Amino acid sequence: MTVTNAETWLYKINPSLKLFVLMVLCIVALFIDDLNYMINVTMGVLLIFLCFTGHSIKRIILLSIPFSFIFISTSLAMIFFGKGETLWFEWGLISITEESFMRGLLVGFRALLFAALGLTFSLTTRPVNLFYSLMQQVKLKPKYAYSFMAALRLIPIMMQEFQTIRNAMKVRGFERGTGVKSIYFKIKAYSIPLLSGSIRRAHRIAVAMEAKRFTDTRDRTYYYDFGFSKYDQGFILYFIILLLAGFFLSIQFPLVSI
Amino acid sequence: MKKGLKLSDVLVTIVIAVAFGIIYILWGSIYYFAKPLGLHVDQLIYGMWFIAGPVAFLILRKPGVALLAEIAAASGEFFLGSPWGLTVLLYGVVQGLFAELVFMVFRYKKFNMSVAVLAAIASCLGSVLMDFAYGEIGALSTWNLSLFMIARFIGSVFFAGLTAYYLVKVLETTGVTNLVRPVSSKDYAELDQK
Amino acid sequence: MEQIISVEKLRMKFPGEESMIFKDLSISFGKGEKVLLLGPSGCGKSTLLQVLSGLIPNSIEVPLKGEKLKCPSSWGYVFQDPDSQFCMPFADEEIAFVLENLSVPKQEMKEKIQHHLHQVGLNLGAIHTSIDTLSGGMKQRLAIASVLALEPEVLFLDEPTAMLDPEGTKEMWELLKEVGRDKTVIVVEHKIDHVLEFIDRIVLFNDEGQIIADGPKDTILSRYKNEMKEHGIWFPGVWDEYVKNHAPVRKQPFTDDVPLIQVQDFSGFRNKEEKIKVNELQVTSGEWIVIRGENGAGKSTLLHALMQFIKTSGTYALMGTPIKRVENPTEHMTFVFQNPEFQFVANTVYEEIAYSLRIDKRPQQEINERVRSLLKVFRLEAHWGKHPFQLSMGQKRRLSVAASIVKDKKLILLDEPTFGQDSKNTFALLKWLEVYRSRGVTVIMVTHDDHISKNFATRILTVQDGNVIRDEKVIQPGCMEPKFLNIKGVSCR
Repeated sequence: MTVTNAETWLYKINPSLKLFVLMVLCIVALFIDDLNYMINVTMGVLLIFLCFTGHSIKRIILLSIPFSFIFISTSLAMIFFGKGETLWFEWGLISITEESFMRGLLVGFRALLFAALGLTFSLTTRPVNLFYSLMQQVKLKPKYAYSFMAALRLIPIMMQEFQTIRNAMKVRGFERGTGVKSIYFKIKAYSIPLLSGSIRRAHRIAVAMEAKRFTDTRDRTYYYDFGFSKYDQGFILYFIILLLAGFFLSIQFPLVSI
Repeated sequence: MKKGLKLSDVLVTIVIAVAFGIIYILWGSIYYFAKPLGLHVDQLIYGMWFIAGPVAFLILRKPGVALLAEIAAASGEFFLGSPWGLTVLLYGVVQGLFAELVFMVFRYKKFNMSVAVLAAIASCLGSVLMDFAYGEIGALSTWNLSLFMIARFIGSVFFAGLTAYYLVKVLETTGVTNLVRPVSSKDYAELDQK
Repeated sequence: MEQIISVEKLRMKFPGEESMIFKDLSISFGKGEKVLLLGPSGCGKSTLLQVLSGLIPNSIEVPLKGEKLKCPSSWGYVFQDPDSQFCMPFADEEIAFVLENLSVPKQEMKEKIQHHLHQVGLNLGAIHTSIDTLSGGMKQRLAIASVLALEPEVLFLDEPTAMLDPEGTKEMWELLKEVGRDKTVIVVEHKIDHVLEFIDRIVLFNDEGQIIADGPKDTILSRYKNEMKEHGIWFPGVWDEYVKNHAPVRKQPFTDDVPLIQVQDFSGFRNKEEKIKVNELQVTSGEWIVIRGENGAGKSTLLHALMQFIKTSGTYALMGTPIKRVENPTEHMTFVFQNPEFQFVANTVYEEIAYSLRIDKRPQQEINERVRSLLKVFRLEAHWGKHPFQLSMGQKRRLSVAASIVKDKKLILLDEPTFGQDSKNTFALLKWLEVYRSRGVTVIMVTHDDHISKNFATRILTVQDGNVIRDEKVIQPGCMEPKFLNIKGVSCR
């Protein structure tokens, strides 16, 4: 993503550590069963996402649209079809109970939390930095790290190819085909050239990398060095406080009573 | 061939996976429009998210490829800004691991349709386990849950099993797979002829 | 002379192929030699280059054996396609990748990166520049810079200018001459104009991957001209020779009652930005229009606008009907893409050509006749059952043209159709286009090749900064006005 934006303190956190902390948070969130607690934690994460990614508000809102969809659709499925005792409403197959409603909200907030964590990370971390850091701090093998970086570079090229195929299909009169057979044709017409082209290109890049004396040893030097700083401590501290304060508040000042 | 994956194997796998990562993102938009329809219509197309592993394995035919592909596809999806965020990474690992196990059970020697379908079913199983932890689908009423499971299994078999298998079959006719598959000793022996 | 690279009795076979690509091939190279490997496409020149460097079998596993295989210890390799040799997103990071591989300490990297970029004349504002923003020529310069970071004694160059326009090609060879002066250089290249000044020895291959000649360049050039022509090599003067033997007859364009294309105040947009503007343009049957202009001027965009791939505004009528109301514009016009692979939809060459006819549900017999005749015209009969992707580059291009015109079209648009093609394929394609044109089909093509403008075009549009700035018709048959043709060694008779 080549969008100019201000580099906030979130950018200065060690990428591996950032990923690790957010992963842990995801796993913790899996075990949070209390709706109030979940809402508090989600708010704390949304605060970071909305205020500190350094991207314009317009962009943030744009990115939030799919989230809201997920929030609604995840919640609704559970609200309408979940199990429960205290019946609020029934209509055909749909039965809304108090339990299913609360559970639906919980699941919805959890989805929201995961989305916010993920976007906060990907908006504030250059993939190259992440993979350099993973090689240095987590001892990821260079062959994986550089392959990932090379592959990510190919994404815009693949997008362009996708567009070209679309134009080519127009020329060949593809849009006029209908029915199941044409859907099958379409899947094939897009995926085969894209895949075969990508495989060839990937193979060529691998050869080119080895022609530049790439070997999968860890005793290489690095153009970028990543260490730890006080921002990392601050980052961890924020989430510890969030988890503790969120828990405390959920007991003292519950927003919803269950 | 016990040395593990070469750079070109890794790179080819990851690039295939990232290509699917793009498809996953596009698929996501179809998915969350199908989801509010209820009755788990969405689950029928869920299986698409398991396709990278079987396809990559059937193309390269090497150990570790299926797992790597699913992780890489999930990472690609993640970096492109998936609205599911970090969940996709967790799911990717589990789905890839389950598919990889199936290929391992067959000692990486079988590349037929049944293996692809089994791997698809395994990935599906993995995702369902994750769903129990994450989505709390356990709290769905029984009829609804069964509908959910059946739809997802059918979708998985169709997309990650059959579609993956046929896709690779067509790719084979294009000749591109020769580039990345292991060379047999028979190929060396042919040099001595004539 | 000290021999630093040599192979003896090399045997090699790609898995799945029927015959060996090399059978008992022997060749050696001395220190400081500048050698050009020449031969028809598919003869294995590039493969040999990979064997000589050791990339085969170290990086690419291909069964091979030989009595002696001596590869250099210090070498660098420049590949054809700029987009498939980088693994990092930014210019400095790409060179840094090489330095990291060599375990150069971090604090020395910045300086070295700057040095190598300077060496190849790549003067970027900042070294941290996204590779995607570079032009093809600049990307190849970067590729050379990262190879120079290896401080190689031997340079392997595999068609480094295949993807570059004539100007870029010239500049690239000037640079390579400069940086390769004190090195051993082995080159594979089709377009040999500029390479010739630089090399001293030529090795000529035939279709079977055998060496048919090996010696000083002047001897080879004078003795093997016919073989080179046969193999489609762009040797100097090949165009003059072609024109002498098959001078295209350029008749006046046809006079239509209703112009084929008529546009007025026509603009094409990409991402809501106006990228091309045409004030007025009328196209009639039987015209051969070449669109010229610099990279990024908007040539391809103009074609895309005419094809309606992108959003357009203004008046645009196809045979008198506004384009928006033409039911299927692609019934009347077709487009040949630069990379033919993208337009293939079927599993066999035969089905590829038959595809459009099948969509229209034409009777089987008609399909069969039509496809067979096209297979013959485009010399693809022997390959009818193959998957399109398994064809050679030239064959793919021919197939893409055949498939595009299977249903008679009035207008063919082509985007750089001769790019990276050898002379044989180029002339074959141009000849067919001329046949169709003489029957009244209109050809509109984007090309950098001034020889095409000079010898085939009936009209030339020049595009600059998104505007058509000149629209010139050929005034004398067979000759362009010299004022806007600026080709060395080509003159009007």
